[in-house]
Amino acid sequence: MTEPERSNQPIDPITLSVIWGGFVSIGEEMGTTLRQTAFSDAVREGDDFSTAIFDRKGRMVAQGNFTPGHLGSMPHVVRSCMEYFPEDRLNPGDAILVNDSAIGSGHYPDCFVVMPVWFENHIVGYATDICHHADMGGAVPGSQAIMGVTEAFQEGLRVLPVKIMRDGKFCEDIMRIILGNVRVPKKVGGDLRAQANANFVGSQRLIRMYEQYGEEIMETAIEEILDRSERRIRDLIRQMPEGVYEFEDFFDDSGPDTEPIRVHVQMEIKDGGITADFSKSSDQVPAGMNCYKTFTQCWLYFIVKAYTDALLPQNDGVIRALKVIGREGSAFNPVYPAPSGGRAVAQIRIYEAMNGVLAKLLPDRAMAAFSHWTNIQMGGVDDRTGEPFILYDVVFAGYGGQAMKDGVEAMSPVMNCPNIPVEVHEAHNPVLIHRIEFIPDSAGPGKYRGGCGLRKDIELRTNSATLNLLGDRHKFEPYGLNGGGSGKVAETVLNPEGDLEEMSSKERRELKRGDVVSVRLAGAGGFGPVEERDPAAIERDISEGFVTVEAAREVYGWSPSP
Amino acid sequence: MSSTSQTVQIAFDIGGTFTDFVLQDSASGGMKFWKVPTTPDDPSRAVLAGLADLLDETGVQGSDVDVILHATTVATNAIIERKGPKTAFITTQGFRDVLIMGRQKRYDTFDIYLTKPMPLVDRKDVLEVDERIDVFGETVKSIDPISLERVIDTITEHGYESAAIAFIHAYADGSHECAVRDAITAKHPGMSISISSEVSPKMREFERFSTTLANAYVQPVVESYLGNLERALKERGIESDIFIMQSNAGLVPPELARSMPIRIVESGPAAGVMMCGVIGRDEGKENLLTFDMGGTTAKLGAIDGGEPAVMATFEVAMINCRPGSGIPLNISAVELLEIGAGGGSIARTDLGLIAVGPESAGADPGPICYGQGGDEPTVTDANLLLGYLNPDYFNGGAMSLDRGAAEAGIRRVIADPLGINVGEAAWGIHTIANANMERAMRVVSVERGRDPRDYTLVSFGGAGPVHTTRIARSLGIPEIIIPYGAGVGSAVGLLEADNKIDATLTKVTRIRPDAAADIAAVYEELEARVCADLARLGRSEDPRWSRYAYMRYVGQGYERKVDLPDGPIDSNYPDKISNVFVEGYLRNYGFTDPDAEIEAIDWYLVATIPSIYNALHRFESIGDSGEGFVVGSREAYFPELDGFVNCDVIDRYRLRAGDSFNGPAIVEERESTTLVLPGDVVTVSSSGHLLIKVGYEG
Repeated sequence: MTEPERSNQPIDPITLSVIWGGFVSIGEEMGTTLRQTAFSDAVREGDDFSTAIFDRKGRMVAQGNFTPGHLGSMPHVVRSCMEYFPEDRLNPGDAILVNDSAIGSGHYPDCFVVMPVWFENHIVGYATDICHHADMGGAVPGSQAIMGVTEAFQEGLRVLPVKIMRDGKFCEDIMRIILGNVRVPKKVGGDLRAQANANFVGSQRLIRMYEQYGEEIMETAIEEILDRSERRIRDLIRQMPEGVYEFEDFFDDSGPDTEPIRVHVQMEIKDGGITADFSKSSDQVPAGMNCYKTFTQCWLYFIVKAYTDALLPQNDGVIRALKVIGREGSAFNPVYPAPSGGRAVAQIRIYEAMNGVLAKLLPDRAMAAFSHWTNIQMGGVDDRTGEPFILYDVVFAGYGGQAMKDGVEAMSPVMNCPNIPVEVHEAHNPVLIHRIEFIPDSAGPGKYRGGCGLRKDIELRTNSATLNLLGDRHKFEPYGLNGGGSGKVAETVLNPEGDLEEMSSKERRELKRGDVVSVRLAGAGGFGPVEERDPAAIERDISEGFVTVEAAREVYGWSPSP
Repeated sequence: MSSTSQTVQIAFDIGGTFTDFVLQDSASGGMKFWKVPTTPDDPSRAVLAGLADLLDETGVQGSDVDVILHATTVATNAIIERKGPKTAFITTQGFRDVLIMGRQKRYDTFDIYLTKPMPLVDRKDVLEVDERIDVFGETVKSIDPISLERVIDTITEHGYESAAIAFIHAYADGSHECAVRDAITAKHPGMSISISSEVSPKMREFERFSTTLANAYVQPVVESYLGNLERALKERGIESDIFIMQSNAGLVPPELARSMPIRIVESGPAAGVMMCGVIGRDEGKENLLTFDMGGTTAKLGAIDGGEPAVMATFEVAMINCRPGSGIPLNISAVELLEIGAGGGSIARTDLGLIAVGPESAGADPGPICYGQGGDEPTVTDANLLLGYLNPDYFNGGAMSLDRGAAEAGIRRVIADPLGINVGEAAWGIHTIANANMERAMRVVSVERGRDPRDYTLVSFGGAGPVHTTRIARSLGIPEIIIPYGAGVGSAVGLLEADNKIDATLTKVTRIRPDAAADIAAVYEELEARVCADLARLGRSEDPRWSRYAYMRYVGQGYERKVDLPDGPIDSNYPDKISNVFVEGYLRNYGFTDPDAEIEAIDWYLVATIPSIYNALHRFESIGDSGEGFVVGSREAYFPELDGFVNCDVIDRYRLRAGDSFNGPAIVEERESTTLVLPGDVVTVSSSGHLLIKVGYEG
């Protein structure tokens, strides 16, 4: 056999494979450190954080596999920070903090910490992480209200890039400003320390790689990683039919008695690239659900991964092929100081608008609309202890029917959070949860039906509390595809067993002891014509209680076999 | 070992491919190893056949058998293959869908098309009782007799053989569960019933429900398996005590295994980790990282200070080793990280790079070189081309490997598409496989607070020892043990295992000076529960007690396992606990938060009674061949020597205690091959284990 020998490529594939794997594993190890030491619910329960390694030019080389919600902002943040802090204004041990909605991740709770990595007296890269903090001050606890905020200045503390660390230590005066403006300074302080620590772990490993391979090979490897990633995504996109396509859908409103918000996307597929233009969407709204471009573009990056290759790398090379634009002042490319704290309500629907386009182009990968979700916040004083409480809940239901199978039941939609157990809610908050169960006949029918809607009833067991809901799909049904039916719309009801009252999807109201908030999420959309549904599947749905006999007859034309 | 009237201990472990046995002589401690192919349709067949062979071979009488120690996959298989009986799940009205919902997180964030793990029973088999207890254990609604009546009628009508009862907050008060169990038992005496307040009294309903249902689901299967085994052993004249391995590496009698069968799910892998413990102790090593690489996956574990590392939760039936893809169980289990990296892992190109696994060619069709129809190049094919494997002595010569086919496959799939030569491609596959395992080993060591420089790596499994020396180098592990003969199966670990009973309780407690009374009360209750099980153990010795807890800073969501100090729980105790927590936190993360309060969530108590057998066993002293152990040489690839060099091939069976040699060298034995790198120094211990001092200058 011939001896292995160097071929005439800029870097041999084995060294490149190992270096690339090394970058990815640094991102993951940073994430492990951050998750295990963080304080905020969003990080610990929801994996609502990201980690990444950047090169000296501020290009993202690898991102840890955590929430998709930071895909859009992470790749750009280091270059923004470099504009404020070029290398000659930085020293070893410095780190930069930023949470500005436009530079960062679209709302204030998401704080980035960017730490330059030094090797032989110059910067070779940046270890960076972002985490969703428990609070950044402003009008409401958690800094994420939709109703009642009309401009960003009401939403909390805005930090443009500042040095948060010098010489490896936190700058006490800057920290005092930050922690003096948030409701839970211990948590925020603890999470910033956890972020710095994860960055430190990442820096050390990156330096070891530079020591092992030398700067020349590392730089060559980075160029190759980015170029090959770009080539890969462009090859994948070239398999899609070129053209310009449109889709639109509507949000219920931006609070009770407001107009629906139009989410319109025009996608151009050309030369191995995709441009998603949200210009024809509604104007930005005086409510905290506007989506800054850094947030909107997350979902283009995510949906392209979902439709092509879940293992597609996450780096600067890939995003060169993807572009999000929007008319300035529209709801998906708003102008500062548009409020945006509750933008999380919109993420599924930005994805679904583009899904409406791609589903037609790539029917094998198509999935009908999700059930949407509701983010419940209930805050007040627990009169058993005299202590304040904030119940923060995430309610998820079904996925849309797919080209090959029924929609999955009860799973976190585009974002990826676990739910919070009933027993944990009741341990921390004065509530009694009466039920959490599927709603029969709510799923969009089809050859492959959508997942079912889901009902959750929560009773308040203290004198009073403020309810804040981030929900949707009360007015516009989750769409079906390829002839599949829509899911049944959602509703939110106060006191279902008593003096029943309908509520809005984005309701904010005062509750009194004994009030029961009943959230009923929409069913997800169906895929393909109902006539093509396998009768055995219909019978199984009846036997499992997902579909009633009456609905089976009426919707599917089913009759019991003789 | 000769046939005498002395007593013996027999241990056996049912693995996926082989059921392996060890018979130990009580007087001499000498051991005899044996293995037979596993019979997956009815595992007890292989057990009985193997036992018969072993007794015949050694001339030991059934009546000479002093004790039987057993590890079994019977519970795991029932879950993975969904072969349990018709089981009902009974829960609080309004919560029938908790099992289907699970925790709702995708186990692969970017795969939006994945399928969720489904519960062990259908939705129609979930029955509801109208009742409710709150977080303080107070009754919000007493059991509605009509709803209970309806449940009992449904059980009668549908003929359920087993049932799980799991109510909301039952960990705080189990009286409703007990009442419902009693009512069902009154109508259906003898029916197998598991209740969550006994199986898993921990907060968080999904994981508790899941554990309780799994217990109910496997109980009749384990019951019938153990019954058959006991009967069959009696027929062979074996009337000795039997002990079963639990997932936590402790042994319990069949009676306890029957009542909590879910605790034996990870029985075999626990025995494998203990096997490493036996060998480590034999060589005077207490801190071990364990590395077991087979055809499809690699399993990595740890032994700290002589104790197998144990975690409080376990997941069974995972998809592609992805956390979150299986069924979660609240059982303590040996810490094992499993990844999709084995000899059969398939290599491919991706983005102009080489990628290896997690897909595997397994044993059938297997690697290309097996000549059984496999056409995708694997790690084994690469190792063959690199000269590490002997084409004529694979599996002890039972199989010859087709080098030409392996070369053609690697050329076609890897070398040509990447424009590199076939040697480079083979080296690439080997290297990438190593990098994958190195990453997993980093998780088990560095990320979990273990400094690799303080550990010895024990490497076994058919595919492990050919990769071990490079993995050890990349992590800074100074020493490796390759156990004597892969024929030393996991069963030997059973001889090392102690009797172990553990109990757990959820009680969220702030660690303040005044918490001593609460902590003492927790441990009183845990002790009462452990003692009840100890009484059924049939051992009169005083156990060794150990305590641990899962703790965090107040406000954090991730809890760390903390070994709690022994001694009286007095007013100083909370301070001691805090100190242990803070020290560990600092060691792992490099910082602490002096202002934050600390709390404990789940409390554990473990009682251990050392095995009366494990001081005995010794490996027979090996070899007296008198011949040289170098039996040949062949070209193998060592990049540090600039390519292929002729290196010694050593026959492991000719090695004697005290023999020593330097790398580069290749040590061949029937079941595996050990690659020794330039700079490594190997010595053979008196038990025949290879001790490799890793050469960092090499």
